[in-house]
Amino acid sequence: MMGPGIPWYLAISAMLFSIGVAGVLLRRSPLIVLLSLELMLNAANLAFVGFSRLFGEMDGQVFALSVMAVAAAEVCVGLGLIVAMARRNLALDVDAFTELRG
Amino acid sequence: MIFGSWVCLLAPLVGFLAILLAGTRITRRQAGILSTTSVFVGFAGALVAFFDAWGREPEERGELTTAWTWLKAGELEVGLELLIDPLSLVMMLVVTGIGGLIVLYSNGYMAGDDEERRYFAYMAFFVFSMLLLVMGGNLLLLLVGWGLVGLASYLLIGFHHERASAVAAAKKAFVINALGDALLALAFFLAIAKVGSLDFGVVFEAAESGELSDTVATLVALGLLGGAVAKSAQIPFHTWLPDAMEGPTPVSALIHAATMVTAGVYLICRTHPVFEAAPEVQHLAAILGLITLLVAGVVALVQWDIKRVIAYSTMSQIGYMFVGAGVGAYGFAMFHLVTHAFFKALLFLAAGLVIHHLSGEQDIRKMGGLRSSMRFTHLTFLVGTLALVGIPPLSGFWSKDAILASTLAEGGVLGWVLYVGGLVGALLTGLYSLRLYLLVFHGEPAAQAEAPHAEHAHHGEGPRSMTIPVAVLAVGSAVAGLLGIPGVWHPFEDWLHDVAEPLVEPSTRQEWLTSGLAVTLGVLGALLAWRAFKAGRELVPDGAVRTTLEHKLWFDELYDTVFSRPGQAIAVTLRDRFETPVVQGGLDEVAEGTLRGAAATSAAQSGLLRTYALAITISVAVLALVFLVVR
Repeated sequence: MMGPGIPWYLAISAMLFSIGVAGVLLRRSPLIVLLSLELMLNAANLAFVGFSRLFGEMDGQVFALSVMAVAAAEVCVGLGLIVAMARRNLALDVDAFTELRG
Repeated sequence: MIFGSWVCLLAPLVGFLAILLAGTRITRRQAGILSTTSVFVGFAGALVAFFDAWGREPEERGELTTAWTWLKAGELEVGLELLIDPLSLVMMLVVTGIGGLIVLYSNGYMAGDDEERRYFAYMAFFVFSMLLLVMGGNLLLLLVGWGLVGLASYLLIGFHHERASAVAAAKKAFVINALGDALLALAFFLAIAKVGSLDFGVVFEAAESGELSDTVATLVALGLLGGAVAKSAQIPFHTWLPDAMEGPTPVSALIHAATMVTAGVYLICRTHPVFEAAPEVQHLAAILGLITLLVAGVVALVQWDIKRVIAYSTMSQIGYMFVGAGVGAYGFAMFHLVTHAFFKALLFLAAGLVIHHLSGEQDIRKMGGLRSSMRFTHLTFLVGTLALVGIPPLSGFWSKDAILASTLAEGGVLGWVLYVGGLVGALLTGLYSLRLYLLVFHGEPAAQAEAPHAEHAHHGEGPRSMTIPVAVLAVGSAVAGLLGIPGVWHPFEDWLHDVAEPLVEPSTRQEWLTSGLAVTLGVLGALLAWRAFKAGRELVPDGAVRTTLEHKLWFDELYDTVFSRPGQAIAVTLRDRFETPVVQGGLDEVAEGTLRGAAATSAAQSGLLRTYALAITISVAVLALVFLVVR
């Protein structure tokens, strides 16, 4: 097998995922939170592709593709929400929105 | 034969479903017509089947038809099958023929009732259930019919549900009948366990070949007898029948005189091989019948309600049938069943005419002198009364005396006791029947009898839909007995001979001797009643005896003390000691715990997005750790 071994991929994937988690937990701007979410999703994608290479099977890559599709959809909704908030001149701060209970 | 039988069975069911589904889209009158038509179509089917069977050789008259396998559980397989043989054909003709007349009569009797549709639906349902009982080709289907007629009886006794006494009577009838059903079911369970089948043929063969041990045969026969006794209102399960008179009069005529209450006799005749394998139980049936016929006879002497007198007379006559079936004279028992269906339905319907005429009055003390104002009713009631007493050549004469002659042919201590008891019963029959007839139709016209209710005055004794059935039944009561004349011909007995071969055959001399004695005693009773009536005396003088009779020998009070009160006491104790603290208390605890949990959970829902995210992250991390460590 060419290139770096699976541990490298997993290490980078784990680092990216942790950065994403930290971003979601620590930042208050919804834009950054969305961005961090994307990071987490792509960390998972990286792990998928890494394993796909390791086992020589295409399943992981297919999964990565569908995760991308879902992520795109999710960003659409998220950005839409943010635009709506900005239009109403609401503060772009996730902690300010505590009343959105179902 | 088979086609006619299916038509006979299904026509009333179709009528019932049609009325049920049509609801208020049809008028009350149409519901009545629908119900009547469906039962008469059933009668036509029964006639077709009967004539088909008549044209065959006696050995080929029985036929078993299976629609499909209804139930299969391991070895046990029960089909939805009908058994058409001479015995079920007799019952089919009685149920649909007399049933049809009574439903026709109901059209007039129930006219103007608010819930006529419900009434006619129930009537059609009853006829269907009764047909299922008598046509069912195995014991399980018989039990299904048995339960359904109990339900129909419950619904119709409690038809006037706004009257508390009617509801109580319906409940009583249902509970006692359920007890009988349970005994019957126990007998069937035992039969399944020992024989592995509920088919008539298999069970009977096991009973006849002695394959069943004596104990098993006795227990099965006892269970069957218990069911028969409860359904036929014989002592000790008889207390429901007099109360059942709360139902409308045609219901009393159809269910509580002509058909359902005689189902016990049918059951004994149908399952006679089982009873023959356990002779003690069969004799017990005869003894219970004798006790009932005497007790009901004396209690009838002091009753004041016109329908209750007839109800006690019904119990008494069914007692005769049990005596007949108990000594093995199945043909005669069934013969009495048929003639009794005619004259007892006639008596009830004629009584219904009187009640209708007097706008619901049932107390015979307030009647009297109706002879002149109700000529037709008077004549038909007289025919019914004389048939009941057994005056020749009316029907009761032939059938009752045949049963008594059979007890004479049985001989032995039992035979003689039954014989003498039956003759005393004939005397009692004469007494109470004539007392009722005289009090209602003779003497000074009572105030109410003179001025019948205005709305009934214009159509005389009743609409034609009521008088025609009464006339037909009167003719039937007069001539039905001619189907069995001792020494001359006995087509009825021959018809049933192959299905239920009698154990005793009285000689012609015994029959005529018995007839002479029974008629003499009946006439003697009638004369005594006549003399007492002329003298203005009661048949039973005031005193302890009369009080006891008026309380129906304290049976109700006894059952109340022995079963009902302790049952209620147990129920109350269980409620106070167990249900309220444990069941209800436990439920309260569960409810409060849920509320507390809900409060805690809802507090955790702060709305802070990042708190949620943290919670998810920590949970996943913990799960991942656990997964790694435990693996």
